[in-house]
Amino acid sequence: MEFRVRDYEEEEAIYSLWPRISTIGDHPLITRNLSSSIKVDVADSGKNDFYDPLRMPTAHIQDNTADDLPCDEDPYLSAKEWASFKRSLMQKFSGSKLVTISSISDAILRRGKVYEISSAATHAEELDNPRKASEDGVKVITCQEYVSRLREFQDEIKHAWKADDRVTSLKSSIKVARLLLDTSVSEFYPTLFILVTDVMDILGDMVWDRIKRKAEYVDDGTLICSLQENFGTSDVCSDAKETCYNWFCKIGSIRELLPRIYLELSILRCWRFLHEHPWKILHRVVMMIRGLADPLASYYCRLYMVYCAQKLLSPDTGYLVACITDMTIILRRIISEEETMSKRLVEHNVSLISLLEPPLEWIIKSICMEAYKKRQYEDIFVKLQLGRGLSNSSGTSECISIIIHHFLKELPAELVCSHASFILQLIESANDISLNQYLNYRLLGLKLSEQKSRVDNVDSVLGTVFQVITQYSRLDEYVKVVDAFLDIVLQYNMDNYLTIILDGISIRTRSKEITGNELSSLQSIIVKLLAHFNLVEDVLALNHFLEIIHVMHGSSRDVVNMHILDKGTRNGYICDPTTVQMLFDISQTLHDCPDTFSVKADHNEQQAHLISRFVQLVDYGAAMERHLTFLVECRGAFGRISELKEVLVRSSNKLAMKAIKDANNPVDFVKSCIAFNEVTIPSISATAKRMNLYLETVEVSLFSGLVCHADGLVYSAIDCLQSVDQSEGLLLQNDSNGVLSWIQKLCSLLVIIPGNPEQGVAYCPGTILALVESHSWITPQLRLRVFCTILSLLATLSQNKLPYHAYDAEVVGNDRLFYGDPSYHQELASLSSSVLTKVIDGVLQEPNRVIRGNLALEACNYVLSAYKATSEISTICSKLMEIAKSCLNANDKYMRNTVKYLDKHMSNTLGDATKPVVST
Amino acid sequence: MSIELKLSRSNRIFRPNESLEGKIIAKFPSSISHQGIRITATGNVNLQVRGGSAGVIESLVGVLKPVRIMKESIEVRSSGKLSSGTTEIPFTVMLREGQNGFDRFYETFHGANISIQYLVTADIMRGYLHKSLSATVEFIVESKKTNLLKKPVSPEMVSFFITQDTQRHPLLPELFSGGFRVAGKIITQCALLDPLNGEITIEASAVPIHSIDIHLLCVESILIGEKIVSETSLIQTTQIADGDICHSMTLPIYVILPRLLTCPTVSAGLFSIEFQVSIVISFQSELAKLHPKSDPTIPRLWLAMETLPLRLFRTN
Repeated sequence: MEFRVRDYEEEEAIYSLWPRISTIGDHPLITRNLSSSIKVDVADSGKNDFYDPLRMPTAHIQDNTADDLPCDEDPYLSAKEWASFKRSLMQKFSGSKLVTISSISDAILRRGKVYEISSAATHAEELDNPRKASEDGVKVITCQEYVSRLREFQDEIKHAWKADDRVTSLKSSIKVARLLLDTSVSEFYPTLFILVTDVMDILGDMVWDRIKRKAEYVDDGTLICSLQENFGTSDVCSDAKETCYNWFCKIGSIRELLPRIYLELSILRCWRFLHEHPWKILHRVVMMIRGLADPLASYYCRLYMVYCAQKLLSPDTGYLVACITDMTIILRRIISEEETMSKRLVEHNVSLISLLEPPLEWIIKSICMEAYKKRQYEDIFVKLQLGRGLSNSSGTSECISIIIHHFLKELPAELVCSHASFILQLIESANDISLNQYLNYRLLGLKLSEQKSRVDNVDSVLGTVFQVITQYSRLDEYVKVVDAFLDIVLQYNMDNYLTIILDGISIRTRSKEITGNELSSLQSIIVKLLAHFNLVEDVLALNHFLEIIHVMHGSSRDVVNMHILDKGTRNGYICDPTTVQMLFDISQTLHDCPDTFSVKADHNEQQAHLISRFVQLVDYGAAMERHLTFLVECRGAFGRISELKEVLVRSSNKLAMKAIKDANNPVDFVKSCIAFNEVTIPSISATAKRMNLYLETVEVSLFSGLVCHADGLVYSAIDCLQSVDQSEGLLLQNDSNGVLSWIQKLCSLLVIIPGNPEQGVAYCPGTILALVESHSWITPQLRLRVFCTILSLLATLSQNKLPYHAYDAEVVGNDRLFYGDPSYHQELASLSSSVLTKVIDGVLQEPNRVIRGNLALEACNYVLSAYKATSEISTICSKLMEIAKSCLNANDKYMRNTVKYLDKHMSNTLGDATKPVVST
Repeated sequence: MSIELKLSRSNRIFRPNESLEGKIIAKFPSSISHQGIRITATGNVNLQVRGGSAGVIESLVGVLKPVRIMKESIEVRSSGKLSSGTTEIPFTVMLREGQNGFDRFYETFHGANISIQYLVTADIMRGYLHKSLSATVEFIVESKKTNLLKKPVSPEMVSFFITQDTQRHPLLPELFSGGFRVAGKIITQCALLDPLNGEITIEASAVPIHSIDIHLLCVESILIGEKIVSETSLIQTTQIADGDICHSMTLPIYVILPRLLTCPTVSAGLFSIEFQVSIVISFQSELAKLHPKSDPTIPRLWLAMETLPLRLFRTN
């Protein structure tokens, strides 16, 4: 057996792809002529009209914003919105678990068991409030019980209706509506309202359907006419009208006001059968609701009215205006005696107002929707006597702050912008317990920041606002308002206000524990600042900025820090040492913060990523020593982040390469870099990363001629592979060619690295061989390929002239080092023959037939290219070919080519004396 | 074996000088023979006086002889046989005015003491051996279309004020000293199919208001001998304010008149049916809680009220 002698330069000339293609010129990946590519460009630009979903619709942006607004065909709040409103209402007031039943709502009691106050379920409450418990006749029921009772009612109503017992349906519905008389349930009232109105809606639908059917069909089922969506009273037959009128009569005979109104509302749409302009009755209904003195009952009743009235398609918004006016009067009554009220009463009223808020919100939303539709904001402002309308903004009457709040919320931003000073006056005049005034200032700020149009009198508006808020002593109020106005301040470059803001925050944060709400506002402020400035340096240089960051804590601090880091790493390399230091400190805070947020894995990951990115972007330019020191510091500071270690190694390698290129005598520095890596790499847990970094560092050290280091790193790499255990090995296997390519890379580097005279040149290949044979996770396929790789390596090393050498001329290649040394060749030959004996067994170990066949062919090719054709070799090759033949189709291309190759070699070397062993 | 009467109009409303149409629906398991099938339409005013105001004279108590408005009887089939299964026999009866003592029909009314009722009865006579089969339904009479009034262009509103000084009954001392003033207006002539309209405003009140109710009252009078016996009864109560409502806010008075319990105001000599509307304001008082079920029409210390006559009529 003898290694084949190779002339790599000649082979390259023969087999290189490039010269052949340049002559033939039909390779598919080569651009033949330029004209065709130009054509493609032209065609592309000419087809701009076709719709590409990924392309930015530049021309249509304007239209899209218009589409966002509700279109004119559907000006009413949709059923969907109502449903979501109901959901949020129930969630908002879901606190109470038990409902006290007063005598008014005892209808709910007759349907099953009720907890007497002394029962075990309420024992705890009894202890809390013995006086209440001792009162006779107080009954308590859980919310769920209440709900299920109402469901029973609902079923009863439906059942009775189906059984043609409509009187019972109506009677039960009245009982249900009466439940709303009891407002003492306070927190439960909104939920009760929703449950009751659901029942009302069911009744309303049934009545509507029945009358509609009467109008469309005769008793025996023949069609009279089908009513259009917008039918008039003339389309309705007198029989249907009569039935309809009877329903209103029945409901009209209900003595109590509240159930009567609810029942009429439930069938309100039926007025369409009787009146040509049914919405005209809305005015009367609005007035009727005034008779409900209880604020809670009357507000929710109005809510149901507005909801039902939408179905009448009223062209007139007068009823809504009247509604809000009435609601305002009631609200004013609640807030009016603030000064004389006891503290407890104030608290009671504040909680009452929070219950009244949802109906107010919904109705204001409805009216603004109408106003939007008709572009009649002016008109509505005048009617509601919110000041004297928008145009005449001198002199405002006193307004209620919660009402202004909800109006402001619904008004379009352009309108707010163009009437900013007027709205500001409204807000100033409204300061009462219904809503803290600062929330209105905040809302104004947010609205103005939407910036669809220019703000009117921005200077004077901001001047006034700041005059007010500088009086605020509480941090949360201050930062909330400031946060809202910050966008405008930044947009108009009002640096003086920015200074005021930062000063203000600084003063208010001193010697004070900062709460969650305040933190989130501060966070928002800082994020806005960061977004505004281009350079992180500019932000860091702001007055009090660092001070403010230092008082923050918890997750907000983290978020802010991450934003700063993000900003800092946006604009490429970070060269300024002060900035680097600041960002380093911030990173350290992030890294060191108590690990309470580690539950959020992605949060941590993002944080690690930002820090890594920062380290990557730091650039000390010529001060490479300093840079390396920085890397060492980072390694010490950010021990938890494994991602960073990879970055550190890469950065240090990069530094080393830069030093080699730039500096005159870099060896010492490069050595430190490599040493840094030697220390850093073992601390990385992932084998794959470690392997890659070892190989990379080997290359760098070879580049600078540090053979000793390269040697050591190769051993470390082999150790690293050696230490892979069963379970990790199986994982690495999945990354199919990972392990193989590392070994191949390693072998290719071994070509350059001078063999160690003490251990012998075959030491490394031998270790690798031992490694693949000893580990059970290595598949037969992988093992065989490693055999082949080692065969190639040994064959290469045996050449008199190696195919490539180290970049650094001081690294002497093995070809020169061992030129003509017989023991060297001996060593190679003995290892290679031991590998060769294992090849056939190795192939046979592969269980899959097709793979086995292909492996046999692969091995055959490797053997042929490594050895001179001798009879020994031909025996091995023919055995391999037999295996291949038994496993593969005879027409397999790879096999046929291999056979050809085999024949050629055998005949070339052995001449005619030996016949081809295998033929197809 | 049953018979049933079905009128041509589902609401069963007929007017004088119209023909009452309908059919007899007979269902028999086997055929039967009969001695004629007869339809009778009757209209009566039933008067009764219950104790109360006339209590002194025992003999007045009790039911007076009904006064006949109409009786019309026709034979729809002469004697013969009715086959088994369902048989429908149509009929027509003219509702002619002025046949009996009264020169015109009064509208159907069901009051406490006076009831004006129209019935139609079908009889199948089956000789002496078998009980005759019969069925009765009520039909409702409303005024003749030609007699109807044109709706007044603007119904006349009457203004009223209720203060502590307008009350003829004793009031709670705090009510009297604190004072109250309620203003309003209401129509006093109302078409039956229109709602009773009006409005009311609490202008001032020292004592919080508990409730405001509108009572619809019916005054039924019967002439007995030389004496007129009247009784006022409550037809319907409609609450228009619940609790201490805001002052100076106008509330609507809106009452839909109940059918059958109301009719056009009648004065027929022998009897009369008149209506009243009463506005009752009840104030919050501990005393009121002790009398939760008291008759709301009776003046009490915590109530203020104003009663106005109400003329009802039927329009086109």
